[in-house]
Amino acid sequence: MYSWRPLRRSLKLLHEVLDMRTLYDYYKLFPHTDCGYCGNTSCLTMLRRYCLGNSDLNSCIYFKSGERQTPKISYSPPPLRLPPAENISYIRPCPSEPTKVTIEVNVLPKIHSPYGYFDMITADKIFDHQISNLKISPSLGIARIESEAGDVMIFSEGKVIIRRGADERRAFWEIGKAIRLLWATVNRKIRAESAQ
Amino acid sequence: MLDINNVRKDFPFLRSGRIYLDSTATSLTPEPVLRKVLEYYHEYRANVGRGIYNAAQAATFAYENARAEVAKLINAKPNEVIFVRNATEAINLIANGLKFQEGEKIVTTILEHHSNYIVWLRLKNAKKVGLSIVKSDKEGLLSPSDFISHIDRRTRLVAVTQTSNVLGVRPPVKDIVKLAHEEGSFVLVDGAQSVPHAKVDVKELDCDFLAFSGHKMCGPTGVGALYIKEDLQELVEPLCIGGGSIEDVGIEYYRLRSGPGKYEAGTPPIAEAIGMGAAAVYLMNVGMGNIEEHERKLTKRMLQGLANINGIVVYGPRDAEKRAGIVSFNLKGMNPHDVAVALDTASGVMVRSGHHCALPLHKHVLNAPNGTVRASVYLYNNNEDVDVFLETLEEISKTLA
Ligand SMILES: Cc1ncc(COP(=O)(O)O)c(C=O)c1O
Ligand code: SF4
Repeated sequence: MYSWRPLRRSLKLLHEVLDMRTLYDYYKLFPHTDCGYCGNTSCLTMLRRYCLGNSDLNSCIYFKSGERQTPKISYSPPPLRLPPAENISYIRPCPSEPTKVTIEVNVLPKIHSPYGYFDMITADKIFDHQISNLKISPSLGIARIESEAGDVMIFSEGKVIIRRGADERRAFWEIGKAIRLLWATVNRKIRAESAQ
Repeated sequence: MLDINNVRKDFPFLRSGRIYLDSTATSLTPEPVLRKVLEYYHEYRANVGRGIYNAAQAATFAYENARAEVAKLINAKPNEVIFVRNATEAINLIANGLKFQEGEKIVTTILEHHSNYIVWLRLKNAKKVGLSIVKSDKEGLLSPSDFISHIDRRTRLVAVTQTSNVLGVRPPVKDIVKLAHEEGSFVLVDGAQSVPHAKVDVKELDCDFLAFSGHKMCGPTGVGALYIKEDLQELVEPLCIGGGSIEDVGIEYYRLRSGPGKYEAGTPPIAEAIGMGAAAVYLMNVGMGNIEEHERKLTKRMLQGLANINGIVVYGPRDAEKRAGIVSFNLKGMNPHDVAVALDTASGVMVRSGHHCALPLHKHVLNAPNGTVRASVYLYNNNEDVDVFLETLEEISKTLA
């Protein structure tokens, strides 16, 4: 049994949180090579694990060698609302539309932790209205991607919903496409910022 | 006045802090009702109308007492109330029990829930019974004069809802009954959304049949009631027959009994019916007038708040006096299901999205083929529920739409 935190209270918390530095601010200080030397699949994984106390910044070859300055990181994540549900569920929310399936997936199963969720505040900072069909609400903890094939909604606790999804394959294809789009935007933004 | 804090304490579902705004779909159940259901299982778990031992008598007494309480709620006589599964079954019972003949006519409206609509379409297709649909205006409002051209000498039944489950509008049932009776037609009132929320008096309405569900009036699921005017029970045939519904059976014949028992073949939902009786008592104790007034205040607050949020389109009349505590709306640029999921995930606000089992209304009156979002209030909702709903919706409108 978990309790719901009405928005009013969380909005107040959020205003304190919005002023803080986000994961993205620290990510910018990383090498972005995803070389894997540190034993992580990417620099972002390394950062997340560091925040969880599970890795040492000196295991990065760039930081260790001094080629890049080791960043000072003090990061506290925004508040989390709901623990994620597990598995995939197929929901038909209205009996009058039996062919329209809404697919709900939790993409962060088991690793639920203070950092194991989508940080919409960071996302908002990164994307900042750059993608026209992407809307992010840091206050609600929800991102929404509109697409012709089916809308995708992403929730901070790891739930992803694909509406109007015709079938499972199509739904995952949509998620994959959405994630690639987002990732490309992150990298483009970092490149643009470091060129300045 | 309704003491909202005391009422809220009775509903265990609310303890987690969730905000339930979907009482139109089904209502929450208060402790006194749950206790009464459990009392049956704990103390006199026996079949009804059969058995001489004490527990069987206690069960029969509780079951019949529940019937009397439900009857009191709508000002009927106990033997005019038949326990069924839900409003849908009650409507089907009338559709089959009146034994319609080719050439007869049924009149219904575009506002109806599928449960009071497709049953008539089926009769039309199977038995060549005429079907006439009364159209409302854009806000869902109907006036008695809209019915005049539809009801004629051929009309055997007018089936109309007392409160629309989408728009909350309330057709003028009393006037419709008068018109129908002048032409010799019966009237079936779908009271699924009216009986739980306002004083309904079958004597005053003078309707012939009234259908409603227990689960929408703070009772358990699996039980509903059908009111059949006493002198019409001869005419209406039961949907099912069997044990419990007979007076005498021989090798080659059977004779059905009269009264509600005629329609209650087999073992009825005993615990549920007892619970529905307890729900009727609970509602009468709070006072139907108080419930209605409380809901009107909340609805007014909701309508005012919605008017101030960008991109919100409210369906039905803007005036809270013209509707029950049911408000359907859309947020421009967002599918109703997305709005509902966002409300739930962000603030634990539960609302319904989709067509609410009223496709003809969505397609032909509201012009909302993708459906609508529907928020509805009941006696246990308070101002804070409405405010959190409105604030979250405003945030959704600002950031996601
Ligand atoms: C107006 C109306 N009629 C009939 C019904 C059917 O009720 P039930 O599903 O309990 O049979 C509903 C339920 O939503 C309703 O709102
Ligand atoms: S070693 Fe450094 S650069 Fe390579 S993946 Fe790890 S953090 Fe990134």
